[in-house]
Amino acid sequence: MKKLVDAIRNLVVGLFTTGKHLGRHAVTLQYPTQKWEMPERSRGIVVLLSDKESGELNCTVCMLCMRACPTGAITIEFEKDEKGKRILKDFIVDNGICCFCGLCEEACNFAAIKMAGKYEFSTEDRETLIWHQDRLQEIGRGVPYEKPVRKKPAAKPAAEPPNAGDGPAAAESAQPEVTAVANPPGDAVITKPGQPAESRPAPEPPARPDENPIEGDDGKSAEDQK
Amino acid sequence: MSEAQGLHTKEFTLNVGPHHPSTHGVCRFVLQMEGEVITSVTPVIGYLHRALEKICENRTYEQIIPITDRFEYCTAMSCNMGFSLATEKLAGLEVPERAEYLRVIMLELNRIASHLIWFGTTSLDLGAITPFLYGFREREDILDMFEMTCGQRLTFNYIRPGGVSKDIPKAFIPVCKKFLDAFSAKVDDYERVLTENPIFIARNKDVGILKPETAIAYSVSGPSLRASGVKYDLRRDDPYSIYDRFDFEIPTRENGDCYDRYIVRIREMRESAKIVRQAIEQIPEGPIRSKVKMNFKPPAGEVYCRVENSRGEMGFYIQSVGEKMPLRVKMRGGSYNQLQVMPVLCVGHKIADLVAIMASMDIIMPDVDR
Repeated sequence: MKKLVDAIRNLVVGLFTTGKHLGRHAVTLQYPTQKWEMPERSRGIVVLLSDKESGELNCTVCMLCMRACPTGAITIEFEKDEKGKRILKDFIVDNGICCFCGLCEEACNFAAIKMAGKYEFSTEDRETLIWHQDRLQEIGRGVPYEKPVRKKPAAKPAAEPPNAGDGPAAAESAQPEVTAVANPPGDAVITKPGQPAESRPAPEPPARPDENPIEGDDGKSAEDQK
Repeated sequence: MSEAQGLHTKEFTLNVGPHHPSTHGVCRFVLQMEGEVITSVTPVIGYLHRALEKICENRTYEQIIPITDRFEYCTAMSCNMGFSLATEKLAGLEVPERAEYLRVIMLELNRIASHLIWFGTTSLDLGAITPFLYGFREREDILDMFEMTCGQRLTFNYIRPGGVSKDIPKAFIPVCKKFLDAFSAKVDDYERVLTENPIFIARNKDVGILKPETAIAYSVSGPSLRASGVKYDLRRDDPYSIYDRFDFEIPTRENGDCYDRYIVRIREMRESAKIVRQAIEQIPEGPIRSKVKMNFKPPAGEVYCRVENSRGEMGFYIQSVGEKMPLRVKMRGGSYNQLQVMPVLCVGHKIADLVAIMASMDIIMPDVDR
């Protein structure tokens, strides 16, 4: 009998606890019309930042973000002018394989790339997740950022050169061609420049600089691509 | 049982999962049933295998941190921590004082968040819907704090070799204090709904008893081990980071049934909140990360480092040959052993208890398969 009374009492206590919420306001937001404000540091999609006055991209084609990316989502195409300076041709981000880790943003010394707190980019087609330079720049125009103190890329390298031997200078000598393609690690597939997006790249590995940090030795890469 | 006179039952095979809401992922069980009673259980794993350890062999140490987030997503901070600890030991990196405190704050908040997921899903598996909403409500506050700090809610990429990636924003400490002040009352609420609830007790008491010797033989660790009466917690027995500076209890229980595992986890949430509070009071100013070169090359050697996460011992074994990428990474998670001990616990119970036992062991599948 005592057990029964105890059981009923405890059930009532539990019900009372849940009953406290009767008459409270709902905290749910009606999503498409109302939205949460994203925190300042929120890591959404990758955007390219432009100079506030001139509107030009901050990117200096140092390729550090491409090297830092663990999934090979970033592809940078560039060509060289007569002085050997690299000029950005296209900056491609495959949002389908981006893992939103933010390492590209940390690798950048020039406030050129950022993970902004924007998130609505779902589509019905996987190929449309591959974004090119103009779209990345467009979406990054309103994103606030702080310009780093050091500005000149060539004259003064970063205080602690991120990877001494693998810096931009080494990439230049090893990469005289007009394009550089991030080697997709693992089975990740990225489009190669010059190829239409629909065609899947053949097993033939893309041109890769020797010092690309995201690839292993040849044995490993070959094993990965099987 | 087929004790009734003249009533013959034939043993039959029943398949549970891999897509079943109560298996917390894609776990499959092949059960041998005699009527409603389980006579044998065979867990079938591998549905969530993503070859993450192999992928780690082709990445630099920095790049592996976002991959460790995917090892066990409920407590991704502890995965970051385990790998960072191992890398620091291998490369001889120093960690600033402030970073150590930030790490402990994040680890313990993440432990609470993980236990809240367990609390919600366990009660949902047993048919109670309200606790599920309660648990996820408080977890939301914790995830907001994480998002405020590192920008993401699940895949943090926050704890790095040599420190942490970002300092906490100014708003963090007031928000965290407010959360901790309210949290104790919230746990009281959880207990009021479930702890003495007669239905909950009937479903959990004396169900799935894990004896201490069985637990040790199967290498079960974490709260499931402590519920069997073995007082073993790496935070106390093999202190890493700065855990020896905090004052906290290690809750244990005697019986090792589902109910005891519930009690241990509830009490652990309170202890974690205590640790976070102490860490917030003691946190010093200073740098948050020592200087680490991009693509650093640790010397050749091998190392094993382990941390206590909400499912037990999480260990990382790294073998280096002096390159910027490890030769081999092996990860040990608590869930695998807890899944392997399931056949011992379930035999002789009814099929409905399988769900209760599985829920109380707090298994998540990405930790089993990787």
